[in-house]
Amino acid sequence: MEQKFRKIIHVDMDAFYASIEQRDNPEYRNKPIAVGGSRERGVVAAASYEARKFGVYSAMPSVIARKKCPEIIFVAPRFDVYRSVSKEIMGIFKLYTDLVEPLSLDEAFLDVTVNKKNYSSATQIAKEIKVNIREKTGLTASAGVSINKFLAKIASDFKKPDGLFVIKPQEAESFVDTLPIEKFFGVGKVTAQKMHSMNIHNGNDLKQWSLNDLVLKFGKVGQYYYDIARAVDHREVNPDRIRKSVGAECTFEHDLQAIPEIIKELLSIAEILHRRINKSGFRGRTLTLKVKFSDFKQITRSRSINQNFDTLSLILETAQELVLPVSRDKKNIRLLGLSVSNSDEYSFEQQLKIDF
Amino acid sequence: MKFVVSSIDLLNHLQSVSRVISSKNTLPILDNFLFDLDGGNLEITASDLESTLKTSMELANTSEKGSIAIPARLLTDTLKEFPDQPLTFDINPDTLGIVISSENGQFTIVGQNGSDFPQVPSIKEDQKTSFQVSTDLLADGINNTLFATADDELRPVMNGIFIELSPDDLTFVASDAHKLVRYKRTDVNLDANASFILPKKPAGLLKNILSKEQSDVVIEFDDKNAFFKLPHYHLVCRLVEGNYPSYNAVIPTDNPNKLIIDRLNLYNSLKRVSVFSNQASNLIKMQLNGNQLTVSAQDIDFSISAYERLNCQYDGDELEIGFKSLFLIEILSNLESSDVVMELSDPSRAGILLPLEKENENEDILMLLMPMMIHN
Repeated sequence: MEQKFRKIIHVDMDAFYASIEQRDNPEYRNKPIAVGGSRERGVVAAASYEARKFGVYSAMPSVIARKKCPEIIFVAPRFDVYRSVSKEIMGIFKLYTDLVEPLSLDEAFLDVTVNKKNYSSATQIAKEIKVNIREKTGLTASAGVSINKFLAKIASDFKKPDGLFVIKPQEAESFVDTLPIEKFFGVGKVTAQKMHSMNIHNGNDLKQWSLNDLVLKFGKVGQYYYDIARAVDHREVNPDRIRKSVGAECTFEHDLQAIPEIIKELLSIAEILHRRINKSGFRGRTLTLKVKFSDFKQITRSRSINQNFDTLSLILETAQELVLPVSRDKKNIRLLGLSVSNSDEYSFEQQLKIDF
Repeated sequence: MKFVVSSIDLLNHLQSVSRVISSKNTLPILDNFLFDLDGGNLEITASDLESTLKTSMELANTSEKGSIAIPARLLTDTLKEFPDQPLTFDINPDTLGIVISSENGQFTIVGQNGSDFPQVPSIKEDQKTSFQVSTDLLADGINNTLFATADDELRPVMNGIFIELSPDDLTFVASDAHKLVRYKRTDVNLDANASFILPKKPAGLLKNILSKEQSDVVIEFDDKNAFFKLPHYHLVCRLVEGNYPSYNAVIPTDNPNKLIIDRLNLYNSLKRVSVFSNQASNLIKMQLNGNQLTVSAQDIDFSISAYERLNCQYDGDELEIGFKSLFLIEILSNLESSDVVMELSDPSRAGILLPLEKENENEDILMLLMPMMIHN
């Protein structure tokens, strides 16, 4: 019976960037700090727990963060440092298993069903990893332990910061039953609203819907909702997953038509994308705009350039150039998305050019 | 205007010029063939504004004069369906109606005024350079280089074949910055130092018509256009403007590691091994050690890999170098000798491919390929 279940750990660093800054700069310790730009259009990339008490969270415009917490200290990000700390942490994971799937610089899934230390308890491994991370890096992490990725990810978020939470196989379904629908991984603001309108508020409500109806209502992602309502998630931990792109998209409560409105939404998506690019450490030379119209027809427009899309201004500028011809079609827009792909860093093999 | 013509004869002529016609024409008149009848000579013209190709055929039993533009697609589609038979074209210059009479019926088309067809540019006599070579030589020059031209919107000069005349030789060069081909012929008699860049589309058109002609071709060019005159064809094309990069400067002359290998053996081995390369990069590795070449490829995403060992003659240091298999295969298929020489330096520098033995002692062919960086 025991062997039937996989043992998955999700490790998520606590306020990763902010904690590193507090570690390296004693004057920031126990103070509300925000990593990110303090300028007009800046956004908070990460906030320390002291800042979170004031209601500052990542993705918040810096102007608002300052309003909520006037004494907040803005710290310029040092992504090179974050990347090297991330490598150290990944090295710790590898002591236990090679089945490590990094999601970004500060979180990863581990499959420890079979592990290098022959531990039978995944909880024991999670404890050791937390201690190891603290000793090696001086940082704290939260870990979730369960039987699949979906549950492990929810578990790591449950007792943050410095938490460890286990969802045991026999508890899985009842745990999901009472879980508010907004907490489900993969359920965003708009989907949550749609589910609310269908009278779905928690896992148990979701479970009442048949697979057919969910697919009809949500398309192919309906299958995923059907499974997770039953605490089922067959996705493997994939150590070879090479990130090919980073994206952000938003479905709107009301379809967009006016160009200023479209551009305004595009700006906020570009900001989210920019943050995710930094969080993942991914760099790419192609920007793709995705537009879904109210009739569910979808188009994409992309542009490749000779440098990485790593600054917000470059993303914004190009995104606007891509959206303008599309917005002239005068069709109502239901969804906008931006993604960056085509990474030099990950294509290890590079064709050389003649230097004319 | 009235004339009689063999359906197959006419179709052959139309098909050889119809390749000029672009599906993305800006002017509707360019979807037509221009028919120009002058005595017993019928001249047929097709154009995309950049290139204009004319062909002519002799017609018996007519002495009329006139011109008309006939919808190209409609005419070729109709002619394709005829067995060989005489067709009578009867054209009313006032209504532009065209009646084609066959043995069994009639086909009616409406044409357009021949004078609406764009004028062919004429050469600037004061800037003219002209020379004459055999069709075979010009065809060799184009066939050896055309595949290496680029599709680069930012550097249009790379999208053509650079043709350079000097008193001693005629050189054809093409490059897409990954590979470069230089084809040189000394069996020419030129008395000029001049050059032009022939865009790839007219180069492809020439490749096709040169195979149909035997005699010499007369080439004239100025700073804007080139004119290729053959007995039955006449091509005018706008040249690519700008300066071609100094290609000789990028060709290494002292690559110390020399490999001699049977061309087909290497070609066939690459074809097999490259199936196992990553589909995005197409990287194959060549390892040289002693008189053995190991060709290998892998695709980590699908956990597949392959290698083959080939005997070769190698004079140089132990070396591992990567190439895009598509490019290397393309180059090998464009060489004809039974053995090839590969001159290599280090894994980040250009490799040179040469035929070991010359087919023609008047020709000098060199192909250059940039490697792919290997990160182990």
